[in-house]
Amino acid sequence: MELIKKILDGNEASAARLISMIEEGREEGYRAIAALFPHTGKAHIVGITGAPGSGKSTIIDKLAIKFSEMGKKIGIIAIDPTSIKSNGALLGDRVRMRGAERIEGVFIRSMAHRGYPGGIAKATMGALYVLEGLGKDLIIIESVGVGQTELQISSVCDTVITVFTPDYGDDVQLMKAGIIEIGDIIVINKSDMPGAEEAAKDIASHINYEKKDWQVPVILAQAQRGEGIDRIIDALGSHLEYLKKNNPKGEYRAQKLRKLMFLFLKEELWVRAMKKWIDRNEIKGIVDMVENREIDIYSAVSQAAGIILPD
Amino acid sequence: MADDKKRIKILIAKPGLDGHDRGAKVVAQALKEAGMEVIYSGLHKRIDQIINIAIQEDVDFIGLSIMTGAHIPITQKLMNKLKEKGITDKMVFVGGVIPSMDIPKLKELGVGGIFPGGTPLQETIEFIKSKAQKA
Ligand SMILES: Nc1nc2c(ncn2[C@@H]2O[C@H](COP(=O)(O)OP(=O)(O)OP(=O)(O)O)[C@@H](O)[C@H]2O)c(=O)[nH]1
Ligand SMILES: [Mg+2]
Repeated sequence: MELIKKILDGNEASAARLISMIEEGREEGYRAIAALFPHTGKAHIVGITGAPGSGKSTIIDKLAIKFSEMGKKIGIIAIDPTSIKSNGALLGDRVRMRGAERIEGVFIRSMAHRGYPGGIAKATMGALYVLEGLGKDLIIIESVGVGQTELQISSVCDTVITVFTPDYGDDVQLMKAGIIEIGDIIVINKSDMPGAEEAAKDIASHINYEKKDWQVPVILAQAQRGEGIDRIIDALGSHLEYLKKNNPKGEYRAQKLRKLMFLFLKEELWVRAMKKWIDRNEIKGIVDMVENREIDIYSAVSQAAGIILPD
Repeated sequence: MADDKKRIKILIAKPGLDGHDRGAKVVAQALKEAGMEVIYSGLHKRIDQIINIAIQEDVDFIGLSIMTGAHIPITQKLMNKLKEKGITDKMVFVGGVIPSMDIPKLKELGVGGIFPGGTPLQETIEFIKSKAQKA
């Protein structure tokens, strides 16, 4: 395919187009991915998550500049929320990536979260394949920082960086949502603000070190001034080495891919089943009964599932 | 449910020395509320940077917000570079401080829509939507 050839030759416009096609869920896009697939699987995929405004984009900017100096080719996928009311989105992460944006070889793509069937992971996975085809060897995903999305993003990444700020006290929710558990590297950014040391200690005390043989580092940073970036780069290197040593055959990836495969399969089956059944009278009848409070939800679901997928 | 439909994607860009982006941000917000996906460039972008962003983000429209009075040379440079790069699938809009006497010149340069300060937001939105349908 012409498009694939161009992407492999490093043509950014073609790569951008293919990412859009995946975002739009187009068949030809998926076919192109299948052709690109043999050229993927080698990049280090890093996810970065944390509360809004904690400094994720600024950190990525500084990381991309340093990694580029080291000769790495960087891809960045920046995900922002979609407005539930209008379905529109304001994608503003690039504003804080001014340095990276100027470097040739850094490809930045903003992505609205939308309400993707299969979750944000589905579009992100496609973008990852494309960026790898484009020759990127380090791809950083900035995520929106809430709940379910984070867990999905972590399943497409090798390493997850979680960013806190000294006033993270407001982020108890994040901790509850398992944000600390998914972090392989924890960064306390804006450490120019008071309380950074205490925050680092406090957060470290929430890490369950016994359960892991990887020692999650807690790094103090001031991304705006570029401080702490070297330590994050070292930690990324160490984590990649750790993964390789402990998973000589890429076992951790196998596990994540398996999880993703079933996640995508679940959504695909749902979409197909709905297309086929939503307007059929058997199903409509059951929905009517539920709406009229003639039967309970459990009975309704059992009946409907039995019709769609008989034993 | 399924939400992988085509969306209108638009880049709102601030070229050159212009340090005023209140207007650009108001427009960006309004377009978002109208259901579009809006990429905001931030201040002081060079023309080649604006084109790079438009390529990487695969936008349908490039909206330049210019308050400095340099709208004609800036727009001319952008249109030339787009042509040079063979980019024909992105329509360019210009907004900001645009005297009405300059409008014919901008149209001649190939600009798809011109929104001088004070243009009702709804008008801008409707115009972009109508252009998107034809695309
Ligand atoms: N004081 C201080 N401010 C910082 C530091 N790093 C970044 N900031 C500022 O924090 C604000 C938010 O930074 P971003 O990088 O946009 O944060 P983000 O997490 O990407 O934000 P969202 O994408 O909106 O969730 C900006 O104004 C930055 O300049 C730091 O080390 N110290
Ligand atoms: Mg950001």
